[in-house]
Amino acid sequence: MIKLENVVKEYPGHTVALRDANADIDKGEFVFLVGPSGSGKSTFLRLVNKQEEPDEGRIFVAGKDIGKLSSWKVPMLRRNIGNIFQDYKLLPTRTVAENVSFALEVIGRPRHVIKTQVPAICELVGLGDKTGKYPHQLSGGEQQRVSIARAFVNRPLILLADEPTGNLDPQTAIGIMRLLDRINKTGTTVLMATHDRGIVDTMRRRVIELADGNIVRDQARGVYE
Amino acid sequence: MAIRVDYLARETGNNLIRTPSLTIATVLTVAVSLALLGAALVMMKGVDGLNARFKGDVEFIIWVDKEASEQNVQGIRAALDSSPNVRDSIYINRDETFREFQDFWADSPEVLAAVTPEQLPTSFRVSPSVADLSLVEALGREFDTLPGVLKVDYAGEYIKKLDSFTRTASTVMIVTAIVSAVSSALLMYNTIRTALYARRREVEVMRLVGAANWFIRIPFMLEGMIQGLLGAGLSTLAVYGLNRVITQTIESSDFQLFDPFALEPSQLTPIALILLAVGAGIGFLSSGIAVTRYLDT
Repeated sequence: MIKLENVVKEYPGHTVALRDANADIDKGEFVFLVGPSGSGKSTFLRLVNKQEEPDEGRIFVAGKDIGKLSSWKVPMLRRNIGNIFQDYKLLPTRTVAENVSFALEVIGRPRHVIKTQVPAICELVGLGDKTGKYPHQLSGGEQQRVSIARAFVNRPLILLADEPTGNLDPQTAIGIMRLLDRINKTGTTVLMATHDRGIVDTMRRRVIELADGNIVRDQARGVYE
Repeated sequence: MAIRVDYLARETGNNLIRTPSLTIATVLTVAVSLALLGAALVMMKGVDGLNARFKGDVEFIIWVDKEASEQNVQGIRAALDSSPNVRDSIYINRDETFREFQDFWADSPEVLAAVTPEQLPTSFRVSPSVADLSLVEALGREFDTLPGVLKVDYAGEYIKKLDSFTRTASTVMIVTAIVSAVSSALLMYNTIRTALYARRREVEVMRLVGAANWFIRIPFMLEGMIQGLLGAGLSTLAVYGLNRVITQTIESSDFQLFDPFALEPSQLTPIALILLAVGAGIGFLSSGIAVTRYLDT
């Protein structure tokens, strides 16, 4: 589903974010990206949804070389990739339901589809009774559930999660991980950058460890270190 | 993909009222620059009308010296009659000259009282068979040296002067209009950038969930276009108002020479369309550039 071939990414000022990275992630896998801050985890994720371009190497998503994708097709790629973030990136002036339906509205989904899918996904993430609330009326865990609902409402092939539990207490984080696990079981490939040792060690999924832009470990059913 | 009209209307409307002071500043700058452009266009249309009216009607006047003898006058008449380049000539004698003089100064009895027919020069009104102004001047010079000729005046010369004055004035106005159009384009560019900045979260989310670029763009470009059109609308009103003032001024004066500067409302329609098109164009382009530059970084 996701394949990196000899990918090099440098930022101005010779900061090497990724050095000759190779990885091959199958459909339906759940993969943790671990490593210290600045090791290249976020760059890895940003390369997959083409927010960044590699300096060298090739990246395949669903079998397609995304480096050859013309710019007007990039939105089509992104419709197959959901994103969740440490800071949720919710729109503060919109309710839970509006935040979720925004993601469908702006890709031109018809109204009747939005009307049925938004309540269903809110129910799925456990916010069925809070669809009319605004983000500031919700707890951190609830806000992250909204962002997961928004990322998943379009049934993407891939879910990219950049430290989704970074702002949450351990108990809440477990709830979020259960939700991501459920989403993964529907066949969605999940790629999650994290610092959370407890989660990685408990879930025992594939772990790709980065250090200074190098992939130093790629281990099935791995632990944090 | 279906265009969600309600979505576009809502987003564009929100953008326009989010920063009212910026929107008003942009609209007014566009209005001022387009009003200048409109005024220049009105003037140029007037000059065109003036030239059309006097084309082929370029005459000159030979003033006869007061001291000239009857023989001198006969000599001039003979020279005019024998010139192949003179189509027609009329001699205005002393009485006729005085009548014209009385008409012209009818409002100023003190001027009339001070002048007797004997003090006025008589003249020949000459219609040349050539229309070109420089040929007419060359022709006029042939008569300048004849005995009894005081001087030769060319009606075309005044038109030429008026023409060059209005052309200079409209050039100045067009240059000013361009400068202020550039400044309104830059202001618009910054207004749209501010709107993008105010909505950076939304734009970020839209890009991440795969909204098409044109879909992100359109509300902002519509915002720019509406601002441009509002400004153009104001400038069109200003042009109609200006034309009304000009028309009333000309109608209340005796100078028929300036008649072509009073335009019919139907003659203003193309100018209004030009202003609206330029306004919409400025809005569309500068907001388009702002959005493109924002999305490319």
